[in-house]
Amino acid sequence: MATTFEPDAAANERPLPDERLREMLYLLKLSRYVDERLEALYRQGRLPGALYSGRGQEGTHVGVTFALEPADSLFPTHRDLTAQLAKGLDLNRVLAQFWGRIDGYLRGRDGNSHIGDWDGNRTFAVMSHLPIAYPVAVGAAWAYQRAGDGRVALAICGDGATSNGRWHEAINTSAIMRLPVVWVVNNNQFAYSTPNEKEFAVPTIAERASAYGIPGVRVDGTEVLEVYAAASDAVDRARTGGGPSLIEAVSLRWRGHAGHDPAKYVPRELLEHYMLSKDPVKNFEAYLLALGVVDDAVVAELQERAERAFEAAHAFALASPFPERGDVSKGVWVEDGYWRSQPGRDGGTEGS
Amino acid sequence: MTSIQMPQLGETIVEGTILKWLKHEGDAVATDEALFEISTDKVDTEVPSPVAGTVTKLLVAEGATVPVGTAVMEIDDGSGSGSQTGVGSGGSGAAGGSTGPAATTATAAAPVGPPPTATTGAPPVEPTLPSASDGPVSAAAVPDRGARSQILSPIVRRLAKERGVDLATVVGTGDGGRITKSDVLAAPGGGTAPAASLGVVVPTTPAPAQVAPPVQAPPSMPAGTGEDVQPMSHIRSAIATHMLASMTQTARAWTMVEVNVEHLVRLRTAAKDGFQQTYGVKLTYLPMVIRTTVDALREFPLVNSRLIGDDIVTPRFVNMGVAVSYDAGLIVPVIKGVDAMNTVGIARAIADLAARARAHQLQPDEVQGATFTITNPGPYGSLVSVPIINQPNAGILSLDAIQKRPVVVEEDAIAVRHMVYISMSWDHRLIDGELATRFLARVKHNLQTWDFAEDLGL
Amino acid sequence: MATQQVEAAAAGHGAEPRGKRSDDGQATYLVAIAEALWEEMERDERVFMLGEDIGVYGGAFKVTEGFLDRFGHARVLDTPIAEETIVGMAVGSAMEGLRPIAEFQYADFMSSGFDEITTVLARYHYRAGVPLPVVLRGPSGGGVRASNFHSVNPEPWFAYTGGIKIMCPAFPSDAKGLLKSAIRDDNPSLFLEHKALYRRIKEHVSEDPELLVPIGSADVKRAGDDVTIVTYGAMVHKALEAAESLAGRGVSVEVVDLRTVYPIDEETVLRSIEKTSRALVLYESFRFLGIGSEVASVIAERAFEHLDAPVMRLAPPNHPVPFSPPLEDAFLPQVADIEAAVDRLSAW
Repeated sequence: MATTFEPDAAANERPLPDERLREMLYLLKLSRYVDERLEALYRQGRLPGALYSGRGQEGTHVGVTFALEPADSLFPTHRDLTAQLAKGLDLNRVLAQFWGRIDGYLRGRDGNSHIGDWDGNRTFAVMSHLPIAYPVAVGAAWAYQRAGDGRVALAICGDGATSNGRWHEAINTSAIMRLPVVWVVNNNQFAYSTPNEKEFAVPTIAERASAYGIPGVRVDGTEVLEVYAAASDAVDRARTGGGPSLIEAVSLRWRGHAGHDPAKYVPRELLEHYMLSKDPVKNFEAYLLALGVVDDAVVAELQERAERAFEAAHAFALASPFPERGDVSKGVWVEDGYWRSQPGRDGGTEGS
Repeated sequence: MTSIQMPQLGETIVEGTILKWLKHEGDAVATDEALFEISTDKVDTEVPSPVAGTVTKLLVAEGATVPVGTAVMEIDDGSGSGSQTGVGSGGSGAAGGSTGPAATTATAAAPVGPPPTATTGAPPVEPTLPSASDGPVSAAAVPDRGARSQILSPIVRRLAKERGVDLATVVGTGDGGRITKSDVLAAPGGGTAPAASLGVVVPTTPAPAQVAPPVQAPPSMPAGTGEDVQPMSHIRSAIATHMLASMTQTARAWTMVEVNVEHLVRLRTAAKDGFQQTYGVKLTYLPMVIRTTVDALREFPLVNSRLIGDDIVTPRFVNMGVAVSYDAGLIVPVIKGVDAMNTVGIARAIADLAARARAHQLQPDEVQGATFTITNPGPYGSLVSVPIINQPNAGILSLDAIQKRPVVVEEDAIAVRHMVYISMSWDHRLIDGELATRFLARVKHNLQTWDFAEDLGL
Repeated sequence: MATQQVEAAAAGHGAEPRGKRSDDGQATYLVAIAEALWEEMERDERVFMLGEDIGVYGGAFKVTEGFLDRFGHARVLDTPIAEETIVGMAVGSAMEGLRPIAEFQYADFMSSGFDEITTVLARYHYRAGVPLPVVLRGPSGGGVRASNFHSVNPEPWFAYTGGIKIMCPAFPSDAKGLLKSAIRDDNPSLFLEHKALYRRIKEHVSEDPELLVPIGSADVKRAGDDVTIVTYGAMVHKALEAAESLAGRGVSVEVVDLRTVYPIDEETVLRSIEKTSRALVLYESFRFLGIGSEVASVIAERAFEHLDAPVMRLAPPNHPVPFSPPLEDAFLPQVADIEAAVDRLSAW
């Protein structure tokens, strides 16, 4: 691992202004609350479609996204709703998408966390064939390099996707061209039900970076500031012409692959260890309390703000109309103007 | 009161088993507190409560397997009237938590699919009546043609009808002696376009002898202050002349029937989106009315006839004039050979002719040769119309507005049905009241009984 | 226009030296394509090219020879052999406002980029409303003894995904005008260049850089009265040859060149069938579920009342393209096959 670099561990001094730290905590709490509420609604049969929980991995999502500027682009997966919220997506429109409504970012053409907001927050609309967005991120990074505008692309995939050929194609190509891109692997230790040891024969994913001639680092994905430090280094390197980097952020997927999966293949002791000792939300909250950045009243207020935001967004989503049936085949071609105009809102709120 | 149902956890799941009740009758529950454990083909999980309240009833025994959507528990949440939760997915329902009663009637938010196929229970489509030249030709009239000789291609059938060619007299040159398109065109009369000999429709200038005396402006009321004066356009003038000529030269009478089009309205409502996607034109009632009218015209050919001097000319084909209003006035483009078309073809022809009429792109021969005419003021709200006959046709049919009306149905019950008045102005020189009425009755019967689903390619 | 004289095309398939236009202004199919690329690169600096061996080497068929010298590495990008990434790069850069043209060395290798083409490129605009003005281009088709992996006609694979416009021109003028339209179009395009035509077909091509051929419009290449042949790509030339021979025997054939195979110009096809009442659909993609299957369906569905005989198809069987010359000739429709099919059809 000759080219691996070591980020500063979360140091005692504050790495970010207090306001940013509080915002991080808010996003962690909001994401956790959204995840829990969506799961309850799903199990009650009140949420259509599928649900992919990112619980336990919020440290990775918030840590990498806070290293980005608004103009930088993010290429996430279905597990990374927290990263999209951290990038700036509006929770109202996110939940409207979950309920298949016209106010969703994709106007009902896709569901759940297969979401994106390219024109606004520069996030790529998630696709299932992972790591399908890795080659696309190469293209975006090429455009930034060509324009010389200092922007950066950051792509996330899971440990499972590192077994796919495109992962290697994309990293290799970006390394050859020294493109401004950051490759993040959210290693939550299971690809659906398959554990790390059946996915790759090297000890870590990070050490593969040296084979492509780029820096690679492995961090604790439950420590948001550790992730943030590694991501900031990588983003700075990309922004200043230093080329791509690989970050492996290790955490554990607390829930199943999707809402229907009880994840009995995850050893109970491992899960308990992570839930009790490595909860990224609780640990960060305790850290900020100890540091004096927040007190109990602020923590309670952030929690209340998150709950209010969810309930308002849920109500917004249910009040938003379904897309109109007559629009089903619009927007295949650019020239019909569907995506440049306001969509019809006469679809009603009762599904059929 | 909230009724808790077996949830659907996964799109392929159809049933679930209650493994264990975690709450029992009389227990208080908080929102999101676990109520029971279930097991399905994909998952074992706890089901959290959508509401806070008190469990009032367990409806299913532990260990029982029930279909998704079955009510399994009731919770008194203080909301009073019964509501249920748990089926399918959350199409509606207020937010949970502190914002108020959480559960309302859950409506499945299934993905958008094709519209349901309409089934009307109507009897199968009646076969259209073959014309004299349409059936199998008699074996004696033609030389031996071999095994395939009886096959007539779509265009051969159509041309023979359009041009009045008796196929019994045509020698086929195709494989096995089959009659081909060029055989029909080469047959006596086959190459003559009948449209050319059929008289004229607007806009045109009739022969001087037929011109009615010009309309005199009322002398007592010349144009004055506050009134605008514009010369009549050529088209307007042609329409005026043509209409007046019809009024003075035909013996016009009028008959009306009322038609129950309930099943057509349902069919159209269910099928219009899919139809437009498939065929690129709107599905309206007019093509269906034309299709049934053509059928009636074939049964009562006199209604499709015209007078030339003392001769009654009866075509064995139908060219349907369709009155179209456009910025310049009124024009009657003609669907040639409409009797060889199905309803889809007619819908297309109407859309095409109407669009080109409004774009002023009709060719002269496209407004000539009508053997019968339909006018369709219905979309503008007219209930009953008395149209002027489009000379030299024997009749003109009017399709007025479809409206919900209380009607007496079977068993002398009163019901709300979609009804329409269909009427015909007809020339008493050619037709009598009995024929006109039987013709309209046939149109009515067709409209009330035909199942258009197949004809529309649905 | 690049004017270097090049000695020979790469890969040795049916090549003669590429050159500039001949003195009388005629351009080969390949020169016409190179002109389209060059003019659009000159016209719009958002346009750039990427692909394997397109820069220093000038492309396997030398279509892009001279481009690197004129436009530089920032606009003529040599990539590793990584087709998924080539397509992904085209998508990502298009999302950032560029207008990429990705070359596949052979259209056969589009299958190596299949997922990025069918899952990302074809579907993204419908899902998320971001225009992707991407052109994928490459040499397709057989008849040049290039064997199994260098002769495929991939258009049905991608027509099936929806969301990508697909062009298969037969003549230099159409190739130039269509490629320029594709580059200017805001939707994804697949531009398939029949490799058998690159240097074999030559005609006068307009010098007007604004002369575009609209996407989705077919063209009647020969008017006739008795039978319509609907076809595209290299088969247009075989159809014209057959039509000429049939005319000597008194059979008048109309040849409709689809030019764009998705979406199809149904109206031009139907107008021709209304005239002739007999249709032969000739195509080089596989017979079963090939482009022509869809054309035949359209005719049966929309021109039924005009038909005087069943719609016939002539196309290769659904198995790999064989190498040995007698086998490849048996595999592909030949002029004699077309004449025989027209004879059967006109006798029906």
